[in-house]
Amino acid sequence: MNLQKKNKWILIFILVLSVTLFSTYNYIYKSHKLTEELPTEFKGTSSDFINLAKNSDWVNKAVEIKGQITSKDSLGLILNNNIYCQLRQTKNIDKLTKSQTITIKGIVIGYDDLLDELKLNQCIIKN
Amino acid sequence: MRLLFLFLIFSQVVNAQKYFTRTGLTEFKASIDAFEPVEAKNNSCSVILNTNTGDIAALIPINAFKFKIALMQEHFNENYMDSDKFPKATFKGKVENFNKNNLDTKKKHQIKGILTIRNISKNIDISATFHRIDTKTIIKSNFKVKPEDFGIEIPSVVRKKIAKTINISLNYELTEKK
Repeated sequence: MNLQKKNKWILIFILVLSVTLFSTYNYIYKSHKLTEELPTEFKGTSSDFINLAKNSDWVNKAVEIKGQITSKDSLGLILNNNIYCQLRQTKNIDKLTKSQTITIKGIVIGYDDLLDELKLNQCIIKN
Repeated sequence: MRLLFLFLIFSQVVNAQKYFTRTGLTEFKASIDAFEPVEAKNNSCSVILNTNTGDIAALIPINAFKFKIALMQEHFNENYMDSDKFPKATFKGKVENFNKNNLDTKKKHQIKGILTIRNISKNIDISATFHRIDTKTIIKSNFKVKPEDFGIEIPSVVRKKIAKTINISLNYELTEKK
């Protein structure tokens, strides 16, 4: 094997190695899926959804819900007294007011039987 | 008679003082030094405390645990906790010797009850501090659980990277339920 051929193989080896390392790194340290990137599996009003959510399993699915704000705390808001939406970013929460109608996209984390409400996480405000 | 009955119901409602949160913070750490930290935070826990009886209940949605590394979060939900099948962990118990009028300074109490993870229930006995600051009642605790007690299998490939006992810490700020 002459020197040139040897160099070629070393170059290929380094190339393959760096591609593997790069893709492994990307796989391990991939970024969190944002709410807006997830497919919306339900679109509708809060009263429609609360009936649906009691009957079937929506955990881990992203949904888009329209409803009226009935109360607020520092991390989220409640739509129609029975859906708690925890917001991903709370900096604009003061602009939201009670009895305002809004559309929210969030991920269902389950039905809370202690407080009798459905919980959504990572919520973003659509309008 | 009917009036008396109504009065009784009403007075019960007034008396049943409940404190609650829907955004309680539960953290766990299962890290081993020298490896990637295995830890997550969950600030979507619901807790209710009846300040007359000391009854306490908590609900922890499993898929609301947030990890720094997305892949770790995925594995936690899919391989270890089966969060699609078992979406929540629950605790139901009683605070021993609880006295609601006695919380202006930090007080330590034992909480005894049943912790259910992946539909497997275990009796636990933990110590927690209770402290009332203005309108909030703050509960803090640290305790340990073993994954095998709840049927969580850790594959041999990663066994060395995950601690045998998992540290859980709680920080719940309860406000009065109206």
